[in-house]
Order: sequence, then structure tokens, then C-alpha cells
Amino acid sequence: MKAIVAALSLAMTAAPMLAPAALAQDKPEQLGMGIFTFASGPAAAYGMPGRNAAELMIEQINADGGIGGVPVAPTYVDEAQGGEGVVSEFRRLAGDGSTDIMVAALSSGNCMALAPIADQLEMPMVTWNCDTHQLFLNAEHPYVFRPNSSTVPEFVAYAAYAAQKAPDATRIAIINPDYAFGHDAAAIFTAAMKAFNPNAEVVVELFPKLGTQSFNTEISRIAAARPDIIFSNMWGGDLESFARQASARGLFRSSQVILALGESILQRVELPEGVIVGVLGDSFWNAPDAKQEALDFAAAYNEKFGDYPVFPGMKMANTILVVKTAYEAAMEANGGTWPTKDEVLAALDGITAETLTGTVTVREDHDGIVDQIVGMTTGGTGTPELAEMVRYPGAAITPPVGADPIEWVSTLTPEFAAELPAPGSLN
Amino acid sequence: MLHFIIILALAAAFAAIPAFFPWLAFVFTLVLAKGFAALGVAILLRAGLISIGHALFYAVGAYTVGFLSSRAGVNLLIPQLVAAAVVSGLFGLVIGLFMVRYRGIFFAMLNLAVSMVGYTLLSKLYTLTGGTDGLSIATPRVLGMTVGREAFEAILLYGGLGLAFVVGIVVHRYLKSPMGEALPAVESNEIRLEYLGIAVPRVLLFAYVGSAVLAGIGGAIHALIVGHITPDLAYWTTSGQLVLVAVLGGIGGVAGPFIGATFLESVRAAAVIYAPDAWNIIIGAGLLVVIFFLPRGLHGLIERITRKGERP
Amino acid sequence: MDFLLPMLVDGLAASALIFFIAVGLTLVFSVLRVLNVAHGSFYAVGAYVAVTIGGVVMSAGAPQWLSFPILFLSAALTAALLGPVIERTFIRFTYGKPEAVQILVTFALFLIFEDLQKLVFGVQAYYQDAAVNVLGISDIGGIIYLNYQLLLIALAAAVVVALRVMLHHTRLGKMIVAVVADPEVSATLGIDTRRVYMAAFTIGVFLAALGGALASPNSGVAPGLGAEAIVLGFAVAAIGGLGQIEGAALAAVIVGIARVLAIYYVPQLEPVAPYLVMLAVLLVRPYGLFGAATQRKI
Repeated sequence: MKAIVAALSLAMTAAPMLAPAALAQDKPEQLGMGIFTFASGPAAAYGMPGRNAAELMIEQINADGGIGGVPVAPTYVDEAQGGEGVVSEFRRLAGDGSTDIMVAALSSGNCMALAPIADQLEMPMVTWNCDTHQLFLNAEHPYVFRPNSSTVPEFVAYAAYAAQKAPDATRIAIINPDYAFGHDAAAIFTAAMKAFNPNAEVVVELFPKLGTQSFNTEISRIAAARPDIIFSNMWGGDLESFARQASARGLFRSSQVILALGESILQRVELPEGVIVGVLGDSFWNAPDAKQEALDFAAAYNEKFGDYPVFPGMKMANTILVVKTAYEAAMEANGGTWPTKDEVLAALDGITAETLTGTVTVREDHDGIVDQIVGMTTGGTGTPELAEMVRYPGAAITPPVGADPIEWVSTLTPEFAAELPAPGSLN
Repeated sequence: MLHFIIILALAAAFAAIPAFFPWLAFVFTLVLAKGFAALGVAILLRAGLISIGHALFYAVGAYTVGFLSSRAGVNLLIPQLVAAAVVSGLFGLVIGLFMVRYRGIFFAMLNLAVSMVGYTLLSKLYTLTGGTDGLSIATPRVLGMTVGREAFEAILLYGGLGLAFVVGIVVHRYLKSPMGEALPAVESNEIRLEYLGIAVPRVLLFAYVGSAVLAGIGGAIHALIVGHITPDLAYWTTSGQLVLVAVLGGIGGVAGPFIGATFLESVRAAAVIYAPDAWNIIIGAGLLVVIFFLPRGLHGLIERITRKGERP
Repeated sequence: MDFLLPMLVDGLAASALIFFIAVGLTLVFSVLRVLNVAHGSFYAVGAYVAVTIGGVVMSAGAPQWLSFPILFLSAALTAALLGPVIERTFIRFTYGKPEAVQILVTFALFLIFEDLQKLVFGVQAYYQDAAVNVLGISDIGGIIYLNYQLLLIALAAAVVVALRVMLHHTRLGKMIVAVVADPEVSATLGIDTRRVYMAAFTIGVFLAALGGALASPNSGVAPGLGAEAIVLGFAVAAIGGLGQIEGAALAAVIVGIARVLAIYYVPQLEPVAPYLVMLAVLLVRPYGLFGAATQRKI
């Protein structure tokens, strides 16, 4: 029995060892990329656009000759299998030599679980979505980079927009999903609103659990509190259900609603005019200052998948572009030969990359500086578009390296909000 | 005797395979973690009690390690494991004191309810548990020595396998003792047991605490090998998985749950690669096949072989 | 106390939805003595079938009111297609087996259905809200409610009455009651218990699918629906005393009101409200509100 198993195992391990070991200078046959996103479960509503965009972006890169002449070979991992499954797959991909870089992950919890393992296995990991400010807060991760924004600039942006648009609004209602992302956002948004307007108060704060189907009781509770502003960072099917139910029950008429991730449902729900929505970064392909590349990508996406890319898709595409830029920069720096892992890491450190929708800079703490685009719904259907848009410069609304994020938010002043670009300045 | 030899051969294979596929070492350590917990579930199943809440004790074990590591600064392997066993045992004692009054579906439901309350507490007590982002666990020192991550993982796998053997023998002895033999009798006829002067609540409480300790040890190993824990460990689907593992493996012998865990985790590792969209179908169909055609689980296969060998 | 009226309306509306999840589970348990985990799958399938048929019919330009009969039709269709087949192929082999086996067989079915739904319907959420739109809204105490929510309260009450009438005043119902009381005696009296089991299971599937279908116009359908439904259904059925229709109704109202109270006053407790109610009830009444201790046989 044991002998059979041993023989079998030997036969199976021998195969990959026969492949020529890639020396630093030799271009490998392919660049293995592990891509972690949700392909099943409720979070797939958010994860699948990411996966679709990755497919399209990699297809385009490979059609164009790959990265430095090397085609990208993606392996997709479903995050819905839970923490240990995700860790297990990460270890397998890192261990069997098939993968050179990880683009992971969607969920903040998974990022937090994977980051120490990336360091331990010395596997470069570029995060594409997870935006918890905890990621680099108390820990240095030499192998982990986030060329995206974190919760602090994202939700300060909405508070700034609200302060600029509705300076007299003081009664705030919050309805966020019941996990770290929702609670962090509530804390940041509340602190920023109070910093911008000392009279602001939270009149009701609800955290329905992820996957809630009916928000009817929550909607009654919010309506009963008579808020001026209703803030939510729900997403996926939850957001869609909430938006439909709240819209049918008149919540959008009685209060100014902010749906932080609202752009992702514009093609699925007819939101009334004047809802404040955004994209947690600058990943909106149809902004007035959109580059031709973004419009082309959106058109190709529409052709392939039947709808326009929502911002998680654009974030994924942008992140893969950052990886491409890093490899190309590393090759340029070493004279055109295929870069070693250390050279790729060095290139990612402090990189400034052009994305489809703007520019991203990775700081020395490996956190990204990205602009924040916020706007208002037009009430129109069809191609997603926003009115009253603004692009807040990432550098202005991101806490400096080493600062405690929540403390930094509370140091903000009404003047800070007034000095930021005004809503509508992007149109 | 033949039975023991087969188990030894399986264990040897179990120990050998990760040497050839290093990434499987992680999966196999998880197998041990789940195996311990499923063994706990299996003990209760022998008494006809199905707990859809044992993930709570798994999580208690894991969070004990997580709390010691990230909050209390106790970075020593052995104390972490002992603490996980003791704390989950205490939880088992307190919860068990009122669980042993219930049977059948209500026992299952109450365990479910308690574990869901526990799950919510783990998500909500942010300062203590890190909320849904969870806790990270640093590599602890082993017997006063600082070890590298790779060495530590080897220690966990092979030390865990050794521990499984020791625990397996202890549990086997227990199941053959009067206290253990009383368990199946609880299922088949509780009143007759009482007439024989056996205190059924005491029998069940002992089993419940024991099963909680086993789940706690499993949770601790899980926390140490994964290095990051979240409240999902206490969610009812994890409990369901533990019952599934116990039944797949078979509750006839202590090796059963470990065999079930090996089977489930291997199928899962393969399904993730080859059939990511149908892994629930594969597990569900496998479960149906086992229940209808192998009522004693995979362990029943060994029982068949040994019976043939010993009674020609 | 200015929240009293909205809390009452919200509580009843929430109870109605919860009742629809629990009632079929309760009926199946009372007759077959099987705790059916796959009940959550039937709930989800009913919802998917309803939005699919509704979507096709509505996009064909049919009048909006037609969306109501479609909800019931979808549930009946789901029950007719799945009920007899599942009962004959899997469930019947578990009669009289230990609870662990029953739970695991139906759990296996649940797992299989989870993936089948994903393969057939994908992972996107579906919505078909014609039934909500056509009914309009009402202002109660300054808060806007959907008339559809109010209709569901009435429908839930109607289902309680209908089940009572069915069980006590129809031939099939009387056979079911007889089988519940004593399957062996019923069989000797000439009742075909096999058909009664199949019928009861199919009615259970119908009620589950109806619950899903009725929830869909307001809530939509997305992956994970079944898992959510089944745990809640278990809790409510257990509180009611497993196998008691009236118990399930009362338990649904208690859990519904408890959740609404939590949302209004202690939102942190909302996710555990059903479980806290269950712990409290089972501590005082170990067999649930309407349950009685089963006879212990020597």
C-alpha cells in the first residue's frame, strides 16, 4: 500500500521537475497569475464582474503579445470556499511552481488571512479590492501591495460630498452590512461628518447581516427616524434588494440617500435622480475625463458579457494593468531581460502606474493613492452615467503614512471639505 | 490485530504523502484538525445525539489560541494547546449541563441555537475577537525553541498525527469502558439503562465535555496551521461539515472520523481544481452513497476486511 | 411609543414571511417525522421558478395582475415536479431511521440543489416585482408600506385556516391526521400510508415553494436564499413544538415581533433574536410551545 502510494507520488512529482527550471534571464513560457475572487454565493454578484474583467483584460494583454512577450496564464480561485480553503489554494498555487504572482483578494478577511502567508511563502501579492485600512495598519507586509484605495479616503470622500452638497443636513441614518467593512465605514463616515459639521448626529444606525433579503423593517425604522441623510455601503444582492425596497417605499424622496457602492447596480435597478453614488476609487469608465482605453475596454466588455463593466470589474482590470506596468518597469530597469522576483517587488514598491481610469501610486507602506470619484444618479436608464461628478485627489484625502486613520479623520475641519474640488467640477 | 495494522498502514501513508507533495502538508494538517472535532461529534452520535453546533467548540479552541497569541502574548505551543482544550472543555461543561436534558431534534436545534449565538458574539465583540476580520496567529515557540515556519508546520503535522494516535487510544479505551458502552444504550433504550442504575445525564455530560475538548483541540490546530481565524468557524455550516465528516468516516471506530476528514478534504482539494462549480454536488452525492450503501461509513470497509480476516 | 403602530405592522409583515418558511417544514415533520433540510432548497427553487416564469410572461406584455396567479402556479409546478420524485427516490428510505441519517440525507440533497441552482440560474440576483408595483402603497402612521406586505399578512392567515380546513374536513386531510396519530393502525384500516406520505411531502414542497415565490416580488432571488431560510425555519419550527401548524404560526409571530423589537431598540441583537427566543422557550418548555413529550417506550 505504502509502496504503491510512494511510487504514485513519485511519478506525479517527477513530471513538473522535468520542465526546465526558469533562470532569471530566460523568459518563461508563461506568467502564472493566481486570481482570487468570489465566483459563487451571494458575494459573486460583486465578484463575477471582477472575474469577467480579469478574463477580458488578460485576453487583451495576451493578444497584444503578453507582458514583455510572455503570455499571462490565470488560475481563478473562488473565495466563497471560506478562509481555510482560500489559504489552502494560495499555498498550493505558490507551492507547485505554477504561479508567479497573486492578484488577491476581494474580501478583506481573506486579504488579512493571505497577507502573512504571502510574506511567509515569499509570493508577491497585489490586492485588487480588499480595502480595509487594517491591512497595513499594524503590520508590514513586504510581499503585499495595494494599488487601490482603502476605507478611509473612500468614506471621507462621501462625507465631503455630503458636506458640500447638503451643508444643512444633520440627521444621519446609517445602514451598513454587519461585518468589518460596514462597521469601519460607519465609524469613518460618522467621524468625518462630525468633523465637517459639528451639529451632525447619527439618529439611527443599523447593521443587517450579509445576505438579508428583506429590509422592510429596517426601512420603516429609518423612515421613523426622519433622517436628512441615509448612508449605506451595502453591495451586491443586498444593495439591490435594499435599493428596490427603499425606492418603492419612498425613502429616496424623503431623504438624501448615499449609496457608496451604488454604481455597481445602476444597470440593474432604476435609481431615482439625485442619489449620491460612487465607485470606491476612480474606477468609473464613463467619467467625463475618461480615457479612450477605458471606453474601449467597456465596449469590449459589453460585447463579451452583455453589460457594461461595474466598478469592481474596472478595479480588477486596473490592478492587472499595475502588475503589467511593474513587470515592464522591472525589465526596463535590468536591460530588457525577464525580471527576477526581487526585481518585480522592487518595481512594485513606489510604482506610479497609469490605469484605465486614472493614476495610482503605491506608497512606501505599500498602500495605494487613488482619486475618489463621486457623483449623482441622473434617473436615466441604459448606459450608466453620473451627474454632478467630482474627482477628489487621492493624496488630499488619504491619511499620511503611519497616521492612525480614525484619529486623522477627526482632525479634519469644515474648511477641509470646502477646499476640496466642488461637486460638478468634473462635468 | 489486523485492524490495528490497517490503521497503522493508513497512518504511514498519511505521513508519507506530504513528503512528496509539500502543499498537501497544509491540507493534511487541516484533516487532523477536522478529524479531532469530528471524533468529538462521533462520540455523541453513538448516543444518537446529533449536534449541529459543535463548530462552537472548534471556534472556542481556535479563539483561545488566537486570544493567547494576539492579545495575551502567550506564544508557546504546548500552553496554547492545553489552554484550548481546557477552555473548550469548560464551555462544554457549562453548555452540556443543560444540553443533556434534551434528545433528538431538540438537542440538535439547541446546539444550533447556542452556536449561532456564539457566532454572533465572535463577530460583535470586536476588541476581544477582531470582529469579522478575525485574529492573526503568530508562529509560537515550541518547547522554548524558536522555530521557522516550515519546521513548525512539520511539527504540527507529525506532532498532530502522534497526538491523534494517543487521543485515539484514550478515546477507544473510553468507548469500551462502561461509561462509553452506555452511549449506544442511551440511543436504543434509555429507560432500561436507568433501571440498571446508570445515571444517564452523567454519562452524557461526560461524553459532551469530552467531545467539546476534542473539538477544541481540533480548533486549536486549525488556528495554528491557517494562522488566521474568523467567526465563520462557529457558523452552522462548519458544524454541518463536522457531522458530515463523522458520518462519512463512520462512527464505528476512532479512526473513522479521521478517514472521513481525509476523504472530504482530498475531494475538496481536487474539486476546487477540477470541478469548482460542482463541489457541493460531489460531496452531496458522496454522502448519499455512503449513507445508503455504507451505513457504517468508510470505516465500515475496514471492519469488513478485518471481519473476513479474523473469522474465516 | 410613537413607534408602536409601525412596529406592529412591521412585526406582522415579518411574521408572515417567517411563517411561510416554517409551515411546510412543520407539516412534513408532523406526518413523516423527518426534519427536512432540503426544505430550504424548495423555498429557493420556488422563488427562482416564480421569477423565471413571471419574467417570461411579463416581458411578453401580459397584464400586471397576472403576476399573482403566476406565484401560486410556480409553487404548484415546483411541488408537482419535485415532491413525488424526491419523496419516492430519497426520503422514503429514511423513514424510521435515526434523526442523524434523516438530517444528513436531506442535507446532501440541499448541497446538491445549491450547486444545481447555481448551474441553472447563475449567481446574479433576479427580480420580478410586477406584483408589488401593481398593488401600490399605503401610508400607515406616517410610514409608507407596500400593500403587497399587507396582503402577505392576510395570505399567511388564510394559509393557517386553509390547512386547518384541509386537515379536518377533507378526505386526504383526515387520512393524514390518522397517519400522524398511528401509522400502523391507519395501514390496517386500509389507508394507503405510502400515498399519504407522498401527498404530505408534496404539500410541504408546495408550501416551501409558495413561501419562496411570495417573497420574491419584494426581495428578489439570489444565491444563499435556501441556507438562510432553512436555519430560520428550523428555529421557528422548534419554538412552535415541531409538527404543530398553530405552533409554527404563533412561533412565527413571536420571532417576527422579536426581530422587529430588536431592530427598533437593540439592532445588535437582531441576528440572534430567533435563537434567543428559541433558547428561552426551550428552557421553559423543552418540547416547544405546543409540543408534548413523546412517550418513552421500554
